[in-house]
Amino acid sequence: MSSEHRLFSEDPSQRKLSLPWGRTVEMCWRNLKNRRGRFLLVFLSIAVVVAFFVSTLSYHRLLEELRGRDDVHTRAVLERGGVLSHNPEADRKHRDQMVWLLVLSGMLCFVGVMNTMYMSVTERYREIGTLKCLGALDSFVVRLFLLESVFIGAVGSALGALGGFLLTLFQIGVTLEFGLIGVGHVMRTLAQTAPPAFAGGTALTVLAAIYPTIAAARMKPVDAMRVEV
Amino acid sequence: MSKREIVRTQGVWKTYYMGSEEVHALRGISISVEAGEYISIMGPSGSGKSTFFNMVGGLDKPTSGEVYIDEVDISQLGIYELAWLRCRKIGYIFQTFNLIPVMNALENVSLPMVFAGLGADESRDKAAALLARVGLGDRLTHRPIEMSGGQQQRVAIARALANDPAIILADEPTGNLDLKTGREIIDLLTEMKEERNVTIITATHDHKMLAASDRVIWFTDGQVTRIQNREDLDIRVGTIGGAEEA
Repeated sequence: MSSEHRLFSEDPSQRKLSLPWGRTVEMCWRNLKNRRGRFLLVFLSIAVVVAFFVSTLSYHRLLEELRGRDDVHTRAVLERGGVLSHNPEADRKHRDQMVWLLVLSGMLCFVGVMNTMYMSVTERYREIGTLKCLGALDSFVVRLFLLESVFIGAVGSALGALGGFLLTLFQIGVTLEFGLIGVGHVMRTLAQTAPPAFAGGTALTVLAAIYPTIAAARMKPVDAMRVEV
Repeated sequence: MSKREIVRTQGVWKTYYMGSEEVHALRGISISVEAGEYISIMGPSGSGKSTFFNMVGGLDKPTSGEVYIDEVDISQLGIYELAWLRCRKIGYIFQTFNLIPVMNALENVSLPMVFAGLGADESRDKAAALLARVGLGDRLTHRPIEMSGGQQQRVAIARALANDPAIILADEPTGNLDLKTGREIIDLLTEMKEERNVTIITATHDHKMLAASDRVIWFTDGQVTRIQNREDLDIRVGTIGGAEEA
């Protein structure tokens, strides 16, 4: 009997492990579909914060534009609505407050999303352990969970940005006058506020998912399978 | 064909720390298993058999001592090689089945093949054939939740065989099953061993397992207390198996 390492006698180039992207996307989609309830919560918490952000920002942008107009009708409507600026100092203070609120809500969202992502990873420790028993590399696990968070973040942020913007239009229409805002004006403001909110919301979600995912992927399979949540 | 050693352990210790207290789960286990053997590791819970099982499967590392799989000391393997070993050379079966809940039977069985780099069609066909072999040809698209415990364990067996492993490690495979289903699972494992010449190592305290085993290794308090060959067993099985079924 030779002491040749039979298990490892194959050509090292044959010893590869892979998880094709197509399969990764499919597995993520499956997970999202089957855990709709839990993910709906994450979607909502992201969407609400992004909506708040977009709404505050776009309201200020739209109002500023209206204040810049010279026609008598617009000024009368703004006056009636109590938003015609008389005092630049008060305006600045108001804006500072808004920025603070935005930062605060962002932090709240971060903690909320982190908690939800953390739970959604920890409740799948056993699954992660099983995947590793079947030959999954740490990077497969990380890829699966990060792709999932990118999807949740992107969809949640997109819905939130759109929802927040529509709410603002509605608010201006009701408190002032629908006729005041033109299409070009609306599109310009949307283009200015939605993309950063979308990118920020998505980044926030992925950032919140990174830590629990890497921690889970690095666990020894036995430890991962022993965890009871 | 000359017998070859597929698994060998040399003085394996595993020590856990619970606070400041040392707990020795394994105290110097040295055994060897030949290719194609069916080994049962018997012992009460807490005797260290699952810990040992994890060491052999490359799922955990011993505190001291060595585990050789086909003459390779697996503590010397890097992360990638270890994952490759788990993917290609070892099949795992668990007491709790551990199927991926969001995937159907076919996808569960083809997953290790996907990791191993097999194409989608090829892995699907092979998974379907394996499922047909374990008697689930008509359950391909069922998800774990839609199957009984026995059926789930059959899927797990098919999954363990996906990449034609050299070793199957089964940790209490009948622990969550009733008597009859448990026996069917043992029969299936025995058939697989005969058909594919795969080495089977099970950790169990199910006496039904004894009859199928070529050798039984008894664990107590992290030590091997007795090793029995099949010839010595037959007499005992009659009484134990008979007593349990009565």
